[in-house]
Amino acid sequence: MRKILLGSWLLSLLFCLPVLAQDVTVSGRVTSSDDGSALPGVSVQVKGTTRGTITDANGNYQIGIPANSRLIFSFIGFAGQEAAVGTRTTVNVTLVPGQQSLDEIVVTAQGIERDKRSLGYATQELGGDKLSQRSTPDVLTALQGKTAGLSITGSSGAPGASTNINIRGITSFNGSNQPLIVVDGIIFSNDVNNTQNTLFGTQPSNRLADINPETIESINILKGPAAAVLYGSRASAGAIVITTKSGRNNNNKTEVTVNSSYNVQNVYGIPTFQNTYGQGANNIFNPTSNNSWGPAFSDVTSVTNFQGNVVPYQAYPNNVRDFYRQGSLIQNSVNIASGDATRNYVIALGNTLQNGIIQNSKFNRTNVQIGGESKLKNGLKVSGTGTYVQTVSRGIPGGNGASTFGQITRVPRSYDLTNEPYQDLNGKSIYFTPSSINPQWGVNNEFLDSQIDRFFGNFQLSYDVAPWLNVAYRVTGDTYADRRKLTLPIGSGRSPLGQVQQDNFFRNELNGDLLITARKDDIFLKGLNANLLLGNNINQRKNQEAYVDAASLTIPGFYNVSNGTVFTGSGENTTLRRLVGYYGQLSLNYNNYLFLELSGRADQSSTLPAANSTYFYPSASVSFVPTDAFKVNSDVLSYIKVRASAARVGRDADPYLLNSVYVTSGYGNNLASINFPLSIGGSSIPGFGISTRIGNNNLTPEFVTSYEGGINVGLFKNRLSIDATYFDSRSTNQIFNVAISNSSGYNTRTTNVGELRNQGVEVVLNATPVRVGGFKWDMTLNYTLIRNNVVSIAPGVKSATISGNSFIGIAPSISEGSPYGVVISTANPRVQNSNPNGQYYDATGQFAGQYVVNGVTGAFAPGVPNSVISNPQANYTAGLNNTFSYKGLSLNVLVDTRQGGQLFSFGAVDARSNGSMYVTGIDRDQPRILPGVIQNSDGTFRPNNIQLPAQTYWGALGGLASEAAVFDATVYRLREVALNYSLPKSLLGKTPFGAISVGVSGRNLLFYAPYFPSDPEINTQGAGNIQGLDLNGPPNTRNFGGNVRLTF
Amino acid sequence: MKSIVSKSYLLIPFFLGLGACSKYLDVNVTPNNPTSVTPAVLLPGAQAGTAFANANELNRFTSVLTQQLAGAGNSPAAYDTYNTNGADFGNQWSGEIYDGALVNYQKLIQLADANNAKAYSGIAKILKAYTFSIATDVWGDVPYSQALQGEAFTAPRLDKQEDIYKGNATLGIQSLFDLVREGIKDLDSPSSVTPGSDDIIFKGDLNKWKQAGNTIMLKFAMTISRKEPALATSVINEVLTGNNYIKTNAGDMNFTFGASVGSQDPRYTYVYVSTFLNDLIMSTRYLNLLTSLNDPRLPIFFTKPGANYVTIDNGFRGTLPTPTANWSRYNKYVVGNAGEGPVRFITNFQRAFSLAEAALRLGTPGDPQALYTEGVTASMTLAGLTPAQITAYLTANPTVATLTGTNEQKIAQIITQKYIAFTGNGLETWNNYRRTGYPALQLSQNATGIDGTLPVRAVYINDELQRNPNFPNPAPQSNVRVWWDID
Repeated sequence: MRKILLGSWLLSLLFCLPVLAQDVTVSGRVTSSDDGSALPGVSVQVKGTTRGTITDANGNYQIGIPANSRLIFSFIGFAGQEAAVGTRTTVNVTLVPGQQSLDEIVVTAQGIERDKRSLGYATQELGGDKLSQRSTPDVLTALQGKTAGLSITGSSGAPGASTNINIRGITSFNGSNQPLIVVDGIIFSNDVNNTQNTLFGTQPSNRLADINPETIESINILKGPAAAVLYGSRASAGAIVITTKSGRNNNNKTEVTVNSSYNVQNVYGIPTFQNTYGQGANNIFNPTSNNSWGPAFSDVTSVTNFQGNVVPYQAYPNNVRDFYRQGSLIQNSVNIASGDATRNYVIALGNTLQNGIIQNSKFNRTNVQIGGESKLKNGLKVSGTGTYVQTVSRGIPGGNGASTFGQITRVPRSYDLTNEPYQDLNGKSIYFTPSSINPQWGVNNEFLDSQIDRFFGNFQLSYDVAPWLNVAYRVTGDTYADRRKLTLPIGSGRSPLGQVQQDNFFRNELNGDLLITARKDDIFLKGLNANLLLGNNINQRKNQEAYVDAASLTIPGFYNVSNGTVFTGSGENTTLRRLVGYYGQLSLNYNNYLFLELSGRADQSSTLPAANSTYFYPSASVSFVPTDAFKVNSDVLSYIKVRASAARVGRDADPYLLNSVYVTSGYGNNLASINFPLSIGGSSIPGFGISTRIGNNNLTPEFVTSYEGGINVGLFKNRLSIDATYFDSRSTNQIFNVAISNSSGYNTRTTNVGELRNQGVEVVLNATPVRVGGFKWDMTLNYTLIRNNVVSIAPGVKSATISGNSFIGIAPSISEGSPYGVVISTANPRVQNSNPNGQYYDATGQFAGQYVVNGVTGAFAPGVPNSVISNPQANYTAGLNNTFSYKGLSLNVLVDTRQGGQLFSFGAVDARSNGSMYVTGIDRDQPRILPGVIQNSDGTFRPNNIQLPAQTYWGALGGLASEAAVFDATVYRLREVALNYSLPKSLLGKTPFGAISVGVSGRNLLFYAPYFPSDPEINTQGAGNIQGLDLNGPPNTRNFGGNVRLTF
Repeated sequence: MKSIVSKSYLLIPFFLGLGACSKYLDVNVTPNNPTSVTPAVLLPGAQAGTAFANANELNRFTSVLTQQLAGAGNSPAAYDTYNTNGADFGNQWSGEIYDGALVNYQKLIQLADANNAKAYSGIAKILKAYTFSIATDVWGDVPYSQALQGEAFTAPRLDKQEDIYKGNATLGIQSLFDLVREGIKDLDSPSSVTPGSDDIIFKGDLNKWKQAGNTIMLKFAMTISRKEPALATSVINEVLTGNNYIKTNAGDMNFTFGASVGSQDPRYTYVYVSTFLNDLIMSTRYLNLLTSLNDPRLPIFFTKPGANYVTIDNGFRGTLPTPTANWSRYNKYVVGNAGEGPVRFITNFQRAFSLAEAALRLGTPGDPQALYTEGVTASMTLAGLTPAQITAYLTANPTVATLTGTNEQKIAQIITQKYIAFTGNGLETWNNYRRTGYPALQLSQNATGIDGTLPVRAVYINDELQRNPNFPNPAPQSNVRVWWDID
């Protein structure tokens, strides 16, 4: 079906080449009254319509308009202007700086363009220039710090590693909390497909990584359900609407833009190590120890190493740092665009070559995009775009214990990691501890290779049935295949007998949308204009994963599934879901200062029981501009808008939750395991068992109900503007696999339960503090504060584990009264003075809250299981983006901070308890005392005074599954610096270039984390609902480089 | 308006969408998993669960506690100094026992009842009783009568261990003995289908299942023999009268694993394949015991890759012996040539030792010495020794061969030989140790735990405390005895 449609689209492009525009074409140039310079990017709008364009790099525009129209010119930092066209074909305009206009056209749900002032909810728009050439190939990381309400966390510095994004907190216990991504109207998959367990696999990409940031014209973030309701269920976590560059604003000129950049990446944010003590324990050298509790280097000159050789006993201060290489990032793109608002095309080519800081890791991406639109003679408007992406990447497995990154935190200070041989002639790992792999061996032998081939595109027909009525149909498709190969050679930590896995993912999504828009001005009374939209959506999503797992390899070095002898890990997983939606929106505008919008959508989903499969949800929003209503004319108060909205969005279930099923039997974990079919005595014996989840044929949709209020204020001719929002959302009726007693024979039952609440404040402050002559300083401050609370789960259930992989005893969970995603583990025991009959009761209250220490050993008393010990949710986040510009020169500096929130780190605990972290080298010969109190025999307490040697102390502080692994993740960061210089036009007169700009940029240049020994922005579980865990993954990087942009 | 009408075909997709919905949306049947199965695929999966429960983490825990193995790293090292808490054995409780083996025996019984497949329900009831005995012997009071019923009881109550073994009509609790009896009765009834190769344990030999069922009755009787001697005596007499129990090694109830990765015995995978292979080593104390008894089974039970057996003492915390390749680990008797096992659930030697002890303790029929010799001989035969070698050993070692002294001393001799014979089955050695105190074990070095004593139960898993309010919270610690463990 899709092929036929795409074919017809190509055909229609051929037909549409000879086109006659019905309208009058007007062109002109927009300049600044300051210095007469051209103003690019000025919005040119035909009054009373949604038709418009933007001036090009030289300030020129061209637009087809109905006769006798009026044009509205608006641009940030300048007073808007309205011009009657009359019979003119050229309209040149000079804009006066000062009164900044806050009227902007933004793209909202379903591609509907709206005047920003009419919106009763918060959206935030970013131009492509804010994302282009930022020393990262990834759109999401380029967004970090630039928006309010968004939480964006990269998982590591490995190339292509996934990035998690949540808008306005977490709204679903179990469903995806990633926002819906829409690219040119195409619902765009941002899935993460995991080949390995997320606890010890390679961190794969989220599929938004397939977008080349250079092709982006603008991004609009629809934050709340009110903004996104027309997209339906899937936008209940918000939506990110990306518009790519087109030839729409080129005034029939063909423009070729070439962008090239080169960046280097270096490892950044690994902990500082001590270099005083070497391998061993209790001050005695031990050649097979993971610890650095050996003798001081000053006391011993040489030792016999694990291979029996006498070697110097010395520190290798950079043994971990030098393990990483310098990475490189080369990005090239060519964009060819031509046309005008009614007839245009764009061809974009992009290529990204990244070699990561981890040896052998890479991420290479090639994008080809063709798009265009045209209006046929008969008035039918045809548009379409198609993009092919190929992404080839190689990653290295991480995870606790038997992986490269599980070992890198345990390298003794006296081990020369980068110069010692790491493999023998048979290709087996050589390491001082034979039960572990050498990290060097890991990065040179264990790989997850992936090749993604992706095509996405849209095709739209639109027809003005009457001047007030438009009917459009849009078909979009997004499909990819990810062909992966996991190679774990014989001797690999995770698979000692070797393993080769072919893992193929296929995903396909199709959407058909019918959109009928009607417009009527002066309805009922003069000045009341109405817009009505009716729509229908037909959606299908298909996923398939088919994998052949070949374990127990026969021939070393031959990595083909035919070399395996055991294939029980092979399988297939296919899901198909469909949805039909009907939606409508009525927008009323009274004299351009009072707006009311009512929306509703009804969905029918294949994943719910037939009786409950149809569900309706509405939204309403209102906005009011008193400065216009009361004609306020003040130099101080330029603009006020107040707005409010209420919305409810329903969400369906994942496929196949209704029934209980049987699964292939299997037992065990990474210690030992079996999987059916068993191969016993030469025959294969199949085995199935009932799934641990009980299905539910009475599921109903879950809902997010959201209230939002906000105010926009423009001061000093809008040189200072504030956009503040308060929101309160409640997610109810959550479809969740509620944990039940395992002795019931099952682990969970699927049901509708619980309530999750998010309240928050977002503030966006824009200011131009300085504008003197040609110099301008613009700043944007984003502030986000979200309070997330699990109000209730299910009767009798106070906490439950979040779906996903987790280590025993370290469970990312929901817990009543706590924020989403807290880690439940064993807490240190504390003195309390609330329950006289409880343990460690202190009637005086003097020691309440202090740790309880064992009076004999000096270590903490036995811990309290099932305690909330870590909360990953930040207290607040903020970003400050400054742009300093002077003529062609601009400097962009972005700093951001995350305050609070906790990180559960294996890496930090490892490096501390094994004596390699810097802090463990300080005063090592001095005894230490754990914080806390000792209970006397009469029940009273005394301060702990038991001295422990340093090694015992740092060990007794706590291991991996303890409070000691929890750190405050507060961080301040110089996120991004970009310096750009556009050569003056006068220099380019005799060259073929229309514009040349050169720039340098850097990312993650500096950070300060007061409470964590390395970079706390790490998240080894990747994009998804489990956050705030650092379970031995790759570190972060610092990137910088240069770029050049040429326009012909 | 004409143009509107003529272009109204654009609305067609809209109405098509409205009409074609119900069929279009009827796609929510999973293609990934079956929603119904036959007894023949449920049985092997459940049997493997019981085998895993016996041979995996619980075996490491109990074999270390009873000092046949010593913990060299990670959790085995923690067990060796008696450190265990509710964070341990979550996978065993849920993955292996309740949500692995037991729930599928329950499903199997339902499915078999619906199809009159009495052979399957009989086997399933016997195995269900055996698997429940693991749960109650390890944890004490556990969910039993309300367990395995899914949504009917999402937080089942705990039944007292006493009620689980003895039954309690008031509370509607069927005794484990009655459950086995019911299973044996099913096996005597006609069955619509009978198992074959899907029965990994006995390949569909229903008479062997009846014998195993009766021998399980003997095991249960011995387990409660000190707490409830009268009941134990009557059960033993019932079994002896019925005279259909395991009498030869060929009747042993074993689960045999496979020789390839993913099919192997966890005892093999753990010490020969996994990342954690150097966490377990033979205990010096067990080496000393077998050496002192000149036991010919030593090289059959444990490996000696180097010149000598390489072992460590229980609770040892010094530098481990190198190279690890020379460590003494489970040998082929326990783990097979390449991980086949078998897991020995119920054996002929066990029956003989049990009857020998019962004759002394309860006065049940049989000659203790003859039964004892039968047990030792059965074990040595199982280990691969020839009758001549066995006779030679017993002749040369009269202190082993002959029961001497008081009844208690004789029982100590019997249990010690039972302990040796059960090398590789820590649950049995731990149960016998807790019940009888034999063989006498010295505390580990560096023993800590709750109070420095050897754990006599496992602590309820943290998950259950969180999910099921019927569990006592805080849970009894590892030093609280279970009901049948009277001293």
